[in-house]
Amino acid sequence: MGGVHPDDKKISRNCKLEALPLPPMVYISVSQHIGAPAKPIVAVGDKVKVGQPIAEPGGFVSAYIHSSVSGTVKSIAPGLDMQGNKQTYIGIQVEGDEWEENIDRSDTLVTDIPDDGKAMLEKVRLAGCVGLGGATFPAHVKFSLAPGKKCECLIINGCECEPYLTSDFRTLLEKGEQVVIGAAIEKQILGVDKCVFGIEDNKPEAIAHIAEVIEKLRKLSPKYEGISVMPLMKKYPEGGEKQLIDAVMHRQVKSGGLPIDVGAVVSNVCTALSVYEAVQKNKPVIDNSVTVTGDCLGEDNQHNFVVRVGTPLSFIIDHAGGVPQTASKAIAGGPMMGRPISNLDAPTVKGTGAILFLTREQTARRPQGNCIRCGRCASACPMGLEPFLLYRLGTHDMLDELEKNAVQDCIGCGCCLYSCPANIPLLDVINQAKAAVMGVMKARRAATKAAQTK
Amino acid sequence: MSSIVIWTIVVISVLGLILAAVLYLVAERFKVEEDPRIDEVEKTMPGANCGGCGYAGCHAFAVAAVQNGNLDKNYCPVGGNDVMKKVADILGYKVEEKAPMIAVVRCNGTCQFRPKVAEYDGYPSCKVKAATFSGDTLCAQGCLGCGDCVSACQFDAIHMNPETGLPEVDQSKCVACGACVKACPKHIIELRAKGPRGMRMFVSCMNQDKGPAAKKACAAACIGCGICEKTCRFGAITVTNNIAYIDFNKCKLCRECEAMCPTGAIHDVNFPIALDKAAVKARVMERQKKEREAAAAAKAAANESAASAETLSATN
Repeated sequence: MGGVHPDDKKISRNCKLEALPLPPMVYISVSQHIGAPAKPIVAVGDKVKVGQPIAEPGGFVSAYIHSSVSGTVKSIAPGLDMQGNKQTYIGIQVEGDEWEENIDRSDTLVTDIPDDGKAMLEKVRLAGCVGLGGATFPAHVKFSLAPGKKCECLIINGCECEPYLTSDFRTLLEKGEQVVIGAAIEKQILGVDKCVFGIEDNKPEAIAHIAEVIEKLRKLSPKYEGISVMPLMKKYPEGGEKQLIDAVMHRQVKSGGLPIDVGAVVSNVCTALSVYEAVQKNKPVIDNSVTVTGDCLGEDNQHNFVVRVGTPLSFIIDHAGGVPQTASKAIAGGPMMGRPISNLDAPTVKGTGAILFLTREQTARRPQGNCIRCGRCASACPMGLEPFLLYRLGTHDMLDELEKNAVQDCIGCGCCLYSCPANIPLLDVINQAKAAVMGVMKARRAATKAAQTK
Repeated sequence: MSSIVIWTIVVISVLGLILAAVLYLVAERFKVEEDPRIDEVEKTMPGANCGGCGYAGCHAFAVAAVQNGNLDKNYCPVGGNDVMKKVADILGYKVEEKAPMIAVVRCNGTCQFRPKVAEYDGYPSCKVKAATFSGDTLCAQGCLGCGDCVSACQFDAIHMNPETGLPEVDQSKCVACGACVKACPKHIIELRAKGPRGMRMFVSCMNQDKGPAAKKACAAACIGCGICEKTCRFGAITVTNNIAYIDFNKCKLCRECEAMCPTGAIHDVNFPIALDKAAVKARVMERQKKEREAAAAAKAAANESAASAETLSATN
């Protein structure tokens, strides 16, 4: 249902993953995941090593956070994130590069998968794995299925349907073996027989490579049985969780439901890689791949960096030659769903996938016209909503009506805004309305829960 | 020809009369009994239907006033004490006089004081802007300047000043309905007592950052230094979360806090004579010095008496 076909603009697709040098200071946020912020367990002045836990989960839906560098903790203080909002950061001054002893830093591939799913899940939890597709939902929570729920198919999300972004693509090409082993581990944890790699057909190299890797690994162990690759039609947002389930399994998740309700669990390729590293190499999530791209950077100045968590964006950008003269906007993520960066000194978090520079011509808003009820936004909406209606209700703050019209199902993909011939800022208003409605729903849930406990 | 015209007029008139009779009978038969006082109360209301009283409109207010049996939960900020007195007379209830209120914009971050660090080119709405990021300056609590308060106001009483980039309340038009207070996502607008002859004091800042950060974001920010709290002789000022707040019920409008404020975050409105900051400051300093000396003397005296008591007990 729905979807649009923007120019995919993958100009950094041929740039190999390169490890970024260590910055002089890193600032590691304690809320890099959905859920409760983590609680710092180090104090100012402590010496830390790479991979040492520095914050523990602050609730069930929360995750461990590890030091990405070795050095001295200099500060535990509020700082500004990419949107200028306050977060608590643990500032660590980098001294050398000393890793925790139990982390296997070699490149040797560990293909033997342990049998004990519970132990592996615990390892995933201790490694602070979160969904690296962008939502940063703690992985161990996703993989611990609620009683009575059964997973039928694990979907590995390699769509990367956003224009410009190439970090997942490069990971598939360069670390395909690790990703497939990671997927097999996730399969083992979930106790599911079927695992499908969903990859868009604009990445034929990745599809061929992963198919080859699966073939190779299948000969080694029966645990790799049941893993397959499914080329998907190039369409935005094919990589949205619910859209991907629809494309792979032909099942629709109903409003307010979770993928597990239709027997699916979706995991990003980078998450699979981090699960591999956590289980087979004892390496927690301390780095991630970040695409630095944009037309204004020039053809030969595109990058796919492997960046330690907490590296200031300005340090990464300096390594890519500084902010280009013609750039007018920096975006964290892709052009469709990414969030604008107002503070270039902010550090990266686990979920940072890209820094994209756009020029004035690319970002300028065209003059807004009137809605003529052409319905293009409604036909483009992958969730089957009516953006024109939600926009009208949103501008008038009609929260009851917004909830009736399922604004909370909006995934914020921006297809409506992209397809609107009158350039109406649909998504801006809907996002804000969604946040308001979610706030009301949360308050109501809390109230009913309080009433029940009484 | 003329007979057709006459017949038409006659038929339509008769039809009209019959239908009128039917309508009358139906209206009589299915009449909804309503307390006549509701109508009377509604007539005295300003009729703005602004919702400032907390009810959906003037009619809802009147219904609630009649049904509640008292006026504890009903107060029309637009009509003020005059209208409430009339309502009370009609219903025979008692009403407490309330100090007239006015909307106050608590942000001092003009373009001059608060440098921009980013540019916003999105949908011109404060709500949307606040959901997107913290704002185009380093102050995360300040005015966003898109004018949600202006569009919320039904009385044309608040306008953006293009020079400062901040909204300004038109004191003659503001009726304190509170629409702008609800519309502002940063909660910088507050309803405060109008004060005697319109004179009032307020802290024109909401920045909760610590001193250096607040100062970096805005030259006129409240830095939470607490000088005003110490200066105030009436205990009207409290500093919480690095931000001072003046309780308008306790404030005696002496303007000493304004003179002492190092950043100029405290504002006065409608005072007939301009504040001579240096003179007031000197006066306050002098007073505080005397207080300190008196306290030191009292302490010394207490020490002395304690010491003498000790020697006494020692000799005994």
